[in-house]
Amino acid sequence: MAKIEFRNVTKAFDKNVVIKDLNLEIEDGSFTVLVGPSGCGKTTLLRMIAGIGPQTSGQVLIDGVDVSNVPPGKRKVAMVFQNYAIYPTMTVKENIEFGLKNNKVPKEQREKLINETASKVGLTEYLNRKPSQLSGGQRQRVALARAMVKNPSVFLMDEPLSNLDAKLRVQMRVELIELHNKLKTTFVYVTHDQVEAMSMADTIVLMNEGKIQQKASPEVMYKDPDNLFAARFIGSPPMNVCNLDHKGNKFGFRPERVDITDEYVNDTAFIMEGVVVTREMLGHETIYSVRNEEGITVTVKRLDDKWRMDQKVFVSVKDIKDIYFFGKDGQRIRENDNDYAYCINQLRGVKNEEN
Amino acid sequence: MYGVSQNIKNTANIILKILVVAIFAFPFLWVISVSLQTDAEVNTFPATIIPKTPQFNNYVRAWQAGPFLTYFKNSVVIIVAIITIQMLIMIPAAYAFAMYDFKLKNILFSLVLIAFMVPTQVTFVPVYLMMGEWGLLRTLWPQILPFMTNAFGIFLLRQYFMQVPEELIEAARLDNASELKIVYKLMIPMAKPALATIILFSFVSHWNEYFWPLIMTNTTDVRPLTVGIAALKSTEGFVNWNTIMAGNMFLIAPILIVYVFCSRFIIKAFSYSGIK
Ligand SMILES: Nc1ncnc2c1ncn2[C@@H]1O[C@H](COP(=O)(O)OP(=O)(O)O)[C@@H](O)[C@H]1O
Ligand SMILES: [Mg+2]
Repeated sequence: MAKIEFRNVTKAFDKNVVIKDLNLEIEDGSFTVLVGPSGCGKTTLLRMIAGIGPQTSGQVLIDGVDVSNVPPGKRKVAMVFQNYAIYPTMTVKENIEFGLKNNKVPKEQREKLINETASKVGLTEYLNRKPSQLSGGQRQRVALARAMVKNPSVFLMDEPLSNLDAKLRVQMRVELIELHNKLKTTFVYVTHDQVEAMSMADTIVLMNEGKIQQKASPEVMYKDPDNLFAARFIGSPPMNVCNLDHKGNKFGFRPERVDITDEYVNDTAFIMEGVVVTREMLGHETIYSVRNEEGITVTVKRLDDKWRMDQKVFVSVKDIKDIYFFGKDGQRIRENDNDYAYCINQLRGVKNEEN
Repeated sequence: MYGVSQNIKNTANIILKILVVAIFAFPFLWVISVSLQTDAEVNTFPATIIPKTPQFNNYVRAWQAGPFLTYFKNSVVIIVAIITIQMLIMIPAAYAFAMYDFKLKNILFSLVLIAFMVPTQVTFVPVYLMMGEWGLLRTLWPQILPFMTNAFGIFLLRQYFMQVPEELIEAARLDNASELKIVYKLMIPMAKPALATIILFSFVSHWNEYFWPLIMTNTTDVRPLTVGIAALKSTEGFVNWNTIMAGNMFLIAPILIVYVFCSRFIIKAFSYSGIK
């Protein structure tokens, strides 16, 4: 069990400042997912917690204690690396045992722990194999077992599923969620995949260019994004974003909140006439793009697949609550903000212009 | 058509390989052959390739022609000491050069490379004087101390260590492994092919060393096999090739044993590297 805190943390590689003045709290026992585009500093953040890539300035605290001078092996932290980092010359068993031996765990207890962990992750039959004789999924399990067996208070995982095929990935996702429910320790999980973040996290920390964009539960992240970046990053296909005025204010709405009709509909928050330009049938749902004469394209996700290419349609958003406004700086303008009334007015203007 | 030309190719290939093996193996087989021949047979013309009456008398004669047990012991002590000390110095040095950043790292590494390029012939006079000053000329140390470090080995091993993914070492640090443990539990097993290569090279070059021990030693009790075997020529008065070749076999046999041992290691160790 452990709570992790970053206080005014800065990280630079030579002169290249990757993370600047970052503050973050990761709650004890949470399944926190760090998500963001590749190169945004997720791994860098994780390595600071582990102590293998220390911060340039600021403090990292585990359970309220500044760990800046605590070596990686003494932090009660286990990490699953992106490429697993399994010791290639050791057998599966030796891989799992290495940390225990270094921590001077007595032999009988080691055997017991190894057997327990191996059966938990389904490696019992492979204990005497070398990593080169294992499949990708099995190697991934070795990395997981090696972390689990130490009974750490923090689990760090750096895109642990990115090298697995799609099917195995979905299966491992479920297993990791179950593992967290069982262990109840703090999990910090890194991914660039928002679907993975949404499905696994109880708290999502969204990052971009070394800055935290938003920290919230998946529901809040989806329903109430703080800014344009969060709104666009979470959700698939991403949110439609259009210009609200000529000053750089914008409004957006999710593809799954858009209706398609062949006639004009009254009393909508937003409506636009256009032509279906693409149509992707994904099985139970279909994704359309509808483009108007000005070249504005709206993506629509629908359960029905009756709309055809080149068909003339109206796309509309009924409820004003499904429309999100963003200021020039990309920050969200919410209902109780001063500019909200202006935005509503502008939106009416947009709608009137359209007709 | 295709089958036929393929066949010709294969046959040519095999013949070529046999030819190459023969060229390399012939001198060696010739040494064995001569070492088994009688005095009369050695001097017949044309020379016989397969001994008519193979016998081991020459080996006994060679062994008794000088204090060969002492020579052999000296050679073994020298080679074991050299390789052990080299390992103790080379592995930490290579690890430090590969993994750490420290002051003057590049300058120090350049010094290692320069040492690698200096021929021993340039250094023997000052080394001899130094050993004399230290009173070591009647010991085996003059044949060991100058070879304590192996610049080629440091270079090769450093290259090898640098290829080890950073994450592996970080994973070991997270597993609470000390630096020493990282070196001997992780780095050394992974560097086995490099180490086997280095040991083999080091063994062959120091086991066969002739010039250096010849000038560094004045008494038989500190001489190695190479010098002893060369002395066979003069002790017999006239050149007895079969005895000399038998003496040479004392020198060659250990090399073969070490080679077989190391090459097996090299192959085994390479099978690890099939993993990302
Ligand atoms: N060892 C390093 N040396 C120099 N720059 C680095 C190093 N590691 C990461 N960076 C830089 O820091 C930034 C963040 O990297 P990283 O944390 O690995 O991103 P992510 O894991 O989110 O993809 C990148 O721009 C990357 O180029
Ligand atoms: Mg990364």
